[in-house]
Amino acid sequence: MALSKCNRLSGPLIRELLDSVESVLFDCDGVIWRGDQAIPGAPEVINLLKKNGKRVFFVTNNSTKTRKMYADKLASLGFNATEEEVFGTAYCSAMYLKSIPHLKGKVYLIGSKAMKQELQTVGIEQVGAGPDPITGVQSDWANVPLDPDVKAVVVGFDEHFSYMKLNRAMQYLSNPECLLVGTNTDTRLPLEGGKAVPGTGCLLKAVETAAQRQAQVVGKPSHFMFDCVASQYGLDPAKTLMVGDRLDTDILLGTNCGLKTLLTLTGVSTVADAKEHQQSGCPKRLGMVPDYFVESIAELLPALQG
Amino acid sequence: MAGAVSSRGCRRLRSSQIRDLLDTKHCVLFDCDGVIWNGEKAVVGAPEVVSLLKKRGKNVFFVTNNCTRPRESYVQKFSRLGFKDVGQNEILSSAYCSALYLRDVAKVQGKVFVIGGDGMYKELRQAGIPFVGGESDAAGVTISDCPLDSDIKAVLVGYDDKLNFMKLAKACCYLRNPECLFLATDTDPWHPLREGRVIPGSGSLTAALETATDRKATVIGKPSRFMFECIASQFAVDPARSLMVGDRLKTDILFGASCGVDTVLTLTGVSTLEEARSYRDSYAPEEQAFVPDYVVDTIADFLPALEDGGTL
Repeated sequence: MALSKCNRLSGPLIRELLDSVESVLFDCDGVIWRGDQAIPGAPEVINLLKKNGKRVFFVTNNSTKTRKMYADKLASLGFNATEEEVFGTAYCSAMYLKSIPHLKGKVYLIGSKAMKQELQTVGIEQVGAGPDPITGVQSDWANVPLDPDVKAVVVGFDEHFSYMKLNRAMQYLSNPECLLVGTNTDTRLPLEGGKAVPGTGCLLKAVETAAQRQAQVVGKPSHFMFDCVASQYGLDPAKTLMVGDRLDTDILLGTNCGLKTLLTLTGVSTVADAKEHQQSGCPKRLGMVPDYFVESIAELLPALQG
Repeated sequence: MAGAVSSRGCRRLRSSQIRDLLDTKHCVLFDCDGVIWNGEKAVVGAPEVVSLLKKRGKNVFFVTNNCTRPRESYVQKFSRLGFKDVGQNEILSSAYCSALYLRDVAKVQGKVFVIGGDGMYKELRQAGIPFVGGESDAAGVTISDCPLDSDIKAVLVGYDDKLNFMKLAKACCYLRNPECLFLATDTDPWHPLREGRVIPGSGSLTAALETATDRKATVIGKPSRFMFECIASQFAVDPARSLMVGDRLKTDILFGASCGVDTVLTLTGVSTLEEARSYRDSYAPEEQAFVPDYVVDTIADFLPALEDGGTL
């Protein structure tokens, strides 16, 4: 079972795989683009898949853009895609909160303008977004005024993260009824040029540690992202392919949801990483072994053009 | 009750037992917050306990993870709260010990990037260690274009109420170099204030940075042994004849256990008797280290044993 995984996808196998699926889910960073540049051949792949009658969706842990912003970026890079096909964690977090029965109230948000917008779009009011520098003394902080309507703390990527925000989140979370939701646990942002930028995972960890609580995480590898797409479009997991560059988020999501999985090597993970998981014998790690891998999704082109 | 669960630990001490215990000890270590004071109020009886212990010839040291003050500020606080003659050399704070570690153990040649506050800056300055960290960036500067100092040889993270994203991002960049040291003053996830209030602690900032860098920090403060080693390097301290008095099971009591020192939990601070007992009764072997040997309601319980005319 495990031995038949992690195979190079090439030749007639490509056509076979594509024929066996109706829908393809793509991660974005490191798969179809890097920063603001499309991976060569990626737009053609997506556009041809659609021409071939496949449904295509974009599933990303990045919480700093709304679906509309993603649609604009996709269009500017030559991808034929619509807002409705994009599932970013800003949108999915809003959907997640909306799906919780009896959750009526506001959210304390550590996150971007995009998150604020997606929450507003589904009718959820937030407090907290934007700069929040420290003022006053310690006893003030422990006694910050709390909005009694706040029912959940939501943590996404926030360049305005500060001790004060961490403090407010912690004060809200001292009420055990207050939920803690995180968009994703990626530890670093993908950034070109060698700088390492802390990711949402690090901000979420600060909140979890201070509040001594575990967050409910919306983003990959949590199955919620897939459920969100599947519930809107009626996807059959057995006929769906997940294409990603990270074993611990994209591939693991695919495995957990019973999808076929394809690792592309234009991003974070390597074949060596995948083989190590495969040989580990550890059940948790086997979920991170992809069915197939390619150097770049451009390798799908010949099969699509033929 | 089934199972051979150890009933070791959590022994309530009566004053004759306290006298017998203190008889065997030449050194007593006290945590500060929640043990000898709470905020700006001394625990009733604490100044007298400290005074009497010293009169009886015991070495007394104060071992605190609180890195917000330099030692001279602690000396003033001791005096203000009625503790007589507590000198700088009796105070081991995580800020001071971090500076010592950088200077004497790591022997850092270069600068330190600090996520912290005045207490840490002052101790680093006094130890002659160049550092950066408190300065604000120019408006509009982001991590993609901010200048990075090429001489950073260590990152030190402690309590920082002015923490912002840029500080985390810069620290993350410096720590990409595996030669750059990664130190944390302590791992306390939250700090108590009065009336059961809490605020985020250094531990939450350290956890954030560990997550971002995929590296583990070297921890200076309790429960790491380093602060005990700082004492032992300057004074002849025998762990078997020492006592650690604290209020936090995962910090003070674990520290005592790691150093081979008997521990007393006092109930004037963070941890409760219920928590201590549940660790005692737990089947998880690693949780035994959180179990105090002894428990008192307050360190004022030492007074009858110390005030007795008898010799110790």
